[in-house]
This record gives sequence, structure tokens and C-alpha cells, in this order.
Amino acid sequence: MSLFDLFEEPEPPAAAKRTAGPEPAANPAPDAAATTGDGVESASPLDPERQSDAEREPDPAGDATKALAGKPGRGGTARAADTARRIHSVSELTARIRTLLESSFVEIWVEGELSNARVWNTGHFYFTLKDAQSQIKGVMFRTALQRLRFKPQDGLRVVARARISVYEPKGEYQIVCEHLEPEGLGALQLAFDQLKERLGREGLFAPERKRPLPALPRKIGIVTSLDGAAVRDIVRVLRRRYPNAHLVIRPTRVQGDGSALEVARAITAIGTVAGIDVVIVARGGGSIEDLWAFNEEVVARAIAGCPVPTISGVGHETDVTIADFVADVRASTPSAAAELVVARKDDFTGRIDRLGERLTAAVVSRLRRLDTRLHQLVARPGFAAFPGRVALRGRFIAELTHDLADASRMLVSVRLRRLDALRRQLEAHDLRHRLATIRARLVAAEGSLEQAVDRQHQRARVRLATGLARLESLSPLGVLARGYAVCWNAERTAVVHDAAQLAVGDAVRVTLARGEARCTVTGTTPAPGGA
Amino acid sequence: MEQNEEQTGGTIQDFEAAIAELESVVRKLEEGDLALEASLQLYERGVQLSRFCHARLEQAERRIEILNERGELKDAPAGFDDEDDDRRR
Repeated sequence: MSLFDLFEEPEPPAAAKRTAGPEPAANPAPDAAATTGDGVESASPLDPERQSDAEREPDPAGDATKALAGKPGRGGTARAADTARRIHSVSELTARIRTLLESSFVEIWVEGELSNARVWNTGHFYFTLKDAQSQIKGVMFRTALQRLRFKPQDGLRVVARARISVYEPKGEYQIVCEHLEPEGLGALQLAFDQLKERLGREGLFAPERKRPLPALPRKIGIVTSLDGAAVRDIVRVLRRRYPNAHLVIRPTRVQGDGSALEVARAITAIGTVAGIDVVIVARGGGSIEDLWAFNEEVVARAIAGCPVPTISGVGHETDVTIADFVADVRASTPSAAAELVVARKDDFTGRIDRLGERLTAAVVSRLRRLDTRLHQLVARPGFAAFPGRVALRGRFIAELTHDLADASRMLVSVRLRRLDALRRQLEAHDLRHRLATIRARLVAAEGSLEQAVDRQHQRARVRLATGLARLESLSPLGVLARGYAVCWNAERTAVVHDAAQLAVGDAVRVTLARGEARCTVTGTTPAPGGA
Repeated sequence: MEQNEEQTGGTIQDFEAAIAELESVVRKLEEGDLALEASLQLYERGVQLSRFCHARLEQAERRIEILNERGELKDAPAGFDDEDDDRRR
């Protein structure tokens, strides 16, 4: 088929017909002329004019013999040619052509554009190389093709290193290509671009595929070579920033033939180790060839298929590999990859500590507000000018007031004790240093809280003492109207001011702002440390 | 204390959830005109969360293992650790 393709072109058919013409003349080789001897004339049959002359010659009868004697006529020509011409079989001719071509074109470089590029299922690659005027068939055998890093495809301008080969059974010649490189771009760059384009189209680099790194990795998987600087860098950074990190290293070759497959296998293997929740894929700096494994599809696929999030750290800052595009997070170097994993720990330690500080500060401020309210309550005019125009005795009112202040104080101190207990829990933990300042502040706050209550209490006492004089003339109803109640014993002869005075089942009377209630005690709660 | 923790709040899911809850507890407390009792309950929960987070931060085991081709995990040879290197130098 390819032979026809070739011969149907305008140029080759002419040549083909010429070679198909009477034998010796067809052979352009100099030795052909020599073997034909006197056959200088033998070229004449090919010349239409001469041929017709020769055909016309016999017509004038008188000239016929002269013509026969003087010049070789048709018969003469044929006889002369018979001795002169050497008739080849097709095989012989083809073999000669083959020898000629194959020995003349042992190693040639040829450039052109690829078309009809196709890899057959034998693994061999067939194509046509063409330019504006000509084209030539070509083949690249499987082993040579496998060494190519880019994918040769239609339309690509290439430079091929090749030899000519003639396939005798079909009389075809073609170039057998040993090496192919893209024109312009380097082969590696082209391979990179091609794979990037293809995987990109597949959506492997899509932002929505990117998984967040775990806030705090349990075990960190590392895929790299044990010999390189990368593993040292990573371990050093992790030890510095996350001393108790648990690392699992899956060693692999990271350069050379077959390394891509090894890296891919390592990624797949480490992704399934129990407890590993992030994987660093790393390699130290090197040339683009050294880093090449990380530009191979098999590695890209392994990263994309890794069940846990991945961080790539390949080469130096300026190196970008396909692995970087597929990984969930790209780090510029192996050290940077390690920093990305543990920077989070640093962040969180600070964050938790700040939250702890704010937590305590918020509660302290809450207690301060309570203190202020207590303050205001005790300082209220109604309270200060405690009503006295009443059947209650001054001493008793004083006691009542005292109890109230005590109870309030107790309320606060109970909370303070609880706060203290909680704070100790917080301290018991590893916050010691961070919280030292907080603790100091808390102690100070506590102190001032108690002082404030004390002061307030003191002031209330003074006010009460001075107010007592006026008590008798004031109505207690105002107090009762604000919701206070007075609890009496059943006989209404004494006011109850300690729950300890009561037993379950006791009857009491409670004087309210309006009216009185008779009540039965169903339970008592003694005041801890109370009056 | 363990009991206390269980009483005060639900189980803590994981580190990230704990951090998020701690943040919300602090916010509530800071905003809060909450009742005193509620404030203290929140505080307790906050302390608990903070302790959990710190514990979790320290939980990872300081260790380096090598996963070999047969899928076996072995401790890395002594001296692999950088600190050991430093000590030797």
C-alpha cells in the first residue's frame, strides 16, 4: 500500500516508468553505460523522436539495406542490446537497491512534520515524515519508542536520527528511526507539557480535588530516598518543630531508570499504613533529568490515588513538577514540606493557649461584674436606709442584714473556689509557663474581689449602724414590698435566721409584703460556713 | 475528674472539633450576659477542651519507622534521628 502511495506522487512515477523501460538505458549507474559498450545509441529507443525516425526508416525501400548496414536498425539494436543488457530479476534489483540505500544512509538526521502517527499493537510506531514537497515513511521500534519521554503525535515537528531500510518483499523503503526529538522545545519540556495538558484535562489538578491537610497528623508518611539530603532535612525540621512526631519513611530510589515506578509504588504502599494521615513526597534538588521521575504519569496517578492528603517537596524553589500539580499541597522544597506539616502544630499550640487565656479572662470578668452588682446592691438607698418603723427589733434587723451580706459573700466565694479548682485543672496541665501570667492575674483578681466584698461589707455595716437610729420610724413594708420575706417560728415569737433551727415538719410563718403564709418545712440546707 | 468531664459535656470528637468548640465557648463567655452558673459550666467545658487539645498535641509518639518493600515496619536504625547526630558531633 505504502509503495503505491509513494509511486502515485507526480515525481516518482516518472522515474518509475523510466526504470521500467528497456533495461540498460534505465540504469543510471555508470557501470551500466560501460557494460552496454557501443550502446551509446541504446539510449535512443527511449527517445520518442529517434524511435519514430527508426520506425520510418524502413519505409523508403532503397534506404532499407543501407540503413541496415550503416546503422543498427531495430533488429540490430535488439541484438546489440541483448548482449549488452544485463537483465536483473526483481529480487536482484531490489537487493541492489537495498544494498545501495542501506549502505549510503547508515545514520542520517532528518527533520519534518509527523503525520499518520500511530503505535501499532506490536508496540512499534509507524509514521510519515513530511515537509512541503516530500514525504517519507518511517518506523520506530518499540524499544526505541519506550526511551522517548514525550509522545510523538501528528503535527509535531521533529528531528529524527535514522537509517534507511528497504523492505524487499514489498519494494518499500522507509526510515528506521532510532531517536526522535521535538524541534524547538527539548524533549523533556514537551513531555512535561503533554502530560500536564492531559492530566489537567482529566481534572487531576482541579482545586476542588485538593484535600485539606489534617490539623494534627498522627503519623507522617515520607516517601523519599534514604541517601539524599531530603530525608535529613525533613527529619531535622520535624524534630525541631514537632519533637514528638511519629514518622514513617518508605525509602525509594528517586532517579534513574524505573525510579518513577518505584516512587509510585512507595506512595501507594505508605498511603495504606494505619494511622498515617498525611504523606510527604520529596526529593532534593537536581537537574531536570534527575527530577524526572516526578514528572511521570505513574507517579502523578499514585499521588492522585493516595487515600490521605499529600504534600510534594521536590527539588528547589524553582523546580515545578507534575507531582506538584497533583499533590494536595505543593511545597517548594523538602524542608518546606516538613514545615507545612508542623507549622500547624505551632499554630495550634499558640491558639489553644490564647483561647485558654481568653477563657479565664472571660470568667474573671464575669465574676467582676458580679462583684460590682453586689456592690451596687449593698449600696442601694433602700438597703442602706433599712426601714425601721416596724415590729422588728433593731438587733434582729442588723442580724438579718449581716446574714444577707454573708450569704452574698458566700455565693461569690463558692464560685471562687470552683474557679480555683478549675484553674488548677488548667495548670495541672502543660500550660504552666503560658498561664503563669494568667494565674498571677487571676490571684490578683481574686484578691481584689474579696477585698471589694470586704470593703463593701464594711461600708454596709457602717451605713447600717448609722441608719439604725432611724429604723424604728421607718416602715418595713417597703422592704417587704421589694420581695423580702420574714420567716417566723410557728408561734410568731421569734424570727428564724438559721436553717439549723428548723427541722423537717416544723411549721413556720412567713410575713410577706401583703399578708402572711403558714408553711411547713420540707427540707433544710444548712449554710456552709454560714452565720 | 474523668467523671466530671463526662458530666459537663459530650464526648470530644477530635482535635479539630475540640478547637472549634473551644473557640465557640470562649466567644459565648466573652459575649455573655450569661447566668453565673452557665458561665461556670462553660468555663469548665472550656478547660476540658483545652486539656484535650494539649493532650492530643503531645500524644504522637516520638518515633521513626521504616516501611520496607515487603510492607514491614521497622524502627529506623539508631542515629537516624537528627538529634542523635547533633549529640555525636
